[in-house]
Amino acid sequence: MSVALKRSPLTDSAPVDWRQRIYQVMNSQAFVALLFLLLPVALLAALKIWPVFYNLYLSFTRYELFEPPRFYGLKNYSYVFTNSTVRQSIFNTLLFTIEAVPIGTALALVIAKLLNQSIRGRVFLRTLYYLPVVSSVVVSAMIWRWIYSPQHGLLNHLLGTVGIPPQNWLNDPNLALISLVIVTIWGSIGSNMVIFLAGLQDIPRDIIEAARVDGANALQNFLLITVPLLRPVILFVVVTFTISIFRNFGLIFMLTQGGPFNRTNTMVWEVYQNVFGYLRFGRGAAISVVMLLIVLVLTMISFRVLRDRQGA
Amino acid sequence: MAAGLSTQSSRHETFTMREARLPLLLTYIFLAIGAVVMIMPFVWMVSTSVKPDREIFGDTIRWIPQELDLQNYTDAFEQTNMPRIFANTVLVTAVAVASQVLLGSMAGYVFARLRFRGKTVIFFALLTTMMVPFEVLIIPVFLLIRAFPLAGGNNILGQGGTGLINTLGGVMFPNFVSVFGVFLFRQFYLSFPKEIEEAAIVDGCSRIGVYWRILIPNSKPVMGTMALFAFLWSWNDFLWPLVVVKEDSLKTIQLGLSVFDQEQGTAWAELMAASVMAVVPVIILYIFLQRFLVSGGLTSGLKG
Repeated sequence: MSVALKRSPLTDSAPVDWRQRIYQVMNSQAFVALLFLLLPVALLAALKIWPVFYNLYLSFTRYELFEPPRFYGLKNYSYVFTNSTVRQSIFNTLLFTIEAVPIGTALALVIAKLLNQSIRGRVFLRTLYYLPVVSSVVVSAMIWRWIYSPQHGLLNHLLGTVGIPPQNWLNDPNLALISLVIVTIWGSIGSNMVIFLAGLQDIPRDIIEAARVDGANALQNFLLITVPLLRPVILFVVVTFTISIFRNFGLIFMLTQGGPFNRTNTMVWEVYQNVFGYLRFGRGAAISVVMLLIVLVLTMISFRVLRDRQGA
Repeated sequence: MAAGLSTQSSRHETFTMREARLPLLLTYIFLAIGAVVMIMPFVWMVSTSVKPDREIFGDTIRWIPQELDLQNYTDAFEQTNMPRIFANTVLVTAVAVASQVLLGSMAGYVFARLRFRGKTVIFFALLTTMMVPFEVLIIPVFLLIRAFPLAGGNNILGQGGTGLINTLGGVMFPNFVSVFGVFLFRQFYLSFPKEIEEAAIVDGCSRIGVYWRILIPNSKPVMGTMALFAFLWSWNDFLWPLVVVKEDSLKTIQLGLSVFDQEQGTAWAELMAASVMAVVPVIILYIFLQRFLVSGGLTSGLKG
């Protein structure tokens, strides 16, 4: 800005110096912005914005990859809402959420609260709790598959020592989903804990101190002060955790492939099956549009909550 | 924001000493049990990976093997074509990290410092894309990569061939830039004092010069955060490589690991050895760089 001001008298008196002109244009805010944004914005438009609309378009077509998409009306959507397998996948996704989110969130909150004290080995413990988050879904799935193994798996071994007969964890229709829920909770406590730790540090200490002076014990303090004050953070964790369950593909691919009897068939698995299994691109697109809508509503809630919290 | 949080916490530390606390012993017992449950699977993985088959399929649980069998590692290494898989993964991850740091810092600088027409619109368009998980866009992105012009037998219109499907370029493509990174850098540059840049501009430094000579050398913390996240996403990515790669010689580590299982049946020892090899680089990097993770922690649920 100041450069341009200083030099403008020069251009009035002397003949226009074209090299300086070029420099001025190339150093303008708009030009630098264009230059720097071109690649990132083009890539994001191609990978994040265009696909949303193309996906929506595909959901109204019949497309099996080797012929161009044909208009198909609402048939994909009526299939999504009437086909029993797809409906079960929606039901399973919700059941998965209901089984994993409340317990997983509560555990993460309690651990965060305990780790928020100045105790010895706090950093070390925090690192341990975070390790499953760093490990990949494939590695985690491999380890748990071995733990769940019916014949020589660790879990059946351990249960055997207290007299519980061996279970076929991943192949029993009544146990498969809950087995996946256990792995999911184990894998997500670390990341939820980090969010809670940040939230806990925002709570003014005087409030807790005042309650203690008034005779509240630790449990009362936690339930009557910490939890209500953390409500926005809790809601944020619940929403992001739920979204992560909607997106959870690797675990199902590695551990159950949607089985047994479709008991672990979730929406993301159903999309994958339709598209890369049966080459039904239009149908897969319709299921992902439904998924996207659910995720969008949940994300809007979490953004609103986060904004309110920063405003407060 | 995150930096503010951490200084605040250390200030509160002295306060906490007098504060109401759960009985310390109970706290330790609960946290220790929890920690054991959390790391037990990893310990079991390592333990299995160094055991001979006879101990793996024995009747008793042995956490520490009686006999060390490192043969599992060499077996896993040979059976999966590990050098090739590692080379692919390192290449894909290195490109993702470098590209996300560079493009993120460039775009972050523009949104934090420059004024131009349409900035708000572009900014909010990008903000909105943060809400869209990659999993629901897998179909159009797959078709886009398949229709990449002049690659894999495609003509200039992207028809006739398979595009970038079944190439490492195809694996890399969606990981060149992350919206999360753009916002991370923008937030960082917004908190960076403007005076230094203004002084440099008065002294005749160009805008690109300001970016390159002032902001970049001062971006180490945010670059660390971005690099760590980009590394984790790329190294641990599974769905996209699964969809794009068909050939064994192009597989990344997660993909190699996932099919290793089907090929080998229940060769648990080799499988666990391969898992150890896949996870050790990540854990080492995490332990060294974990201080960078905190600053991104709050938004980590919004990956992409």
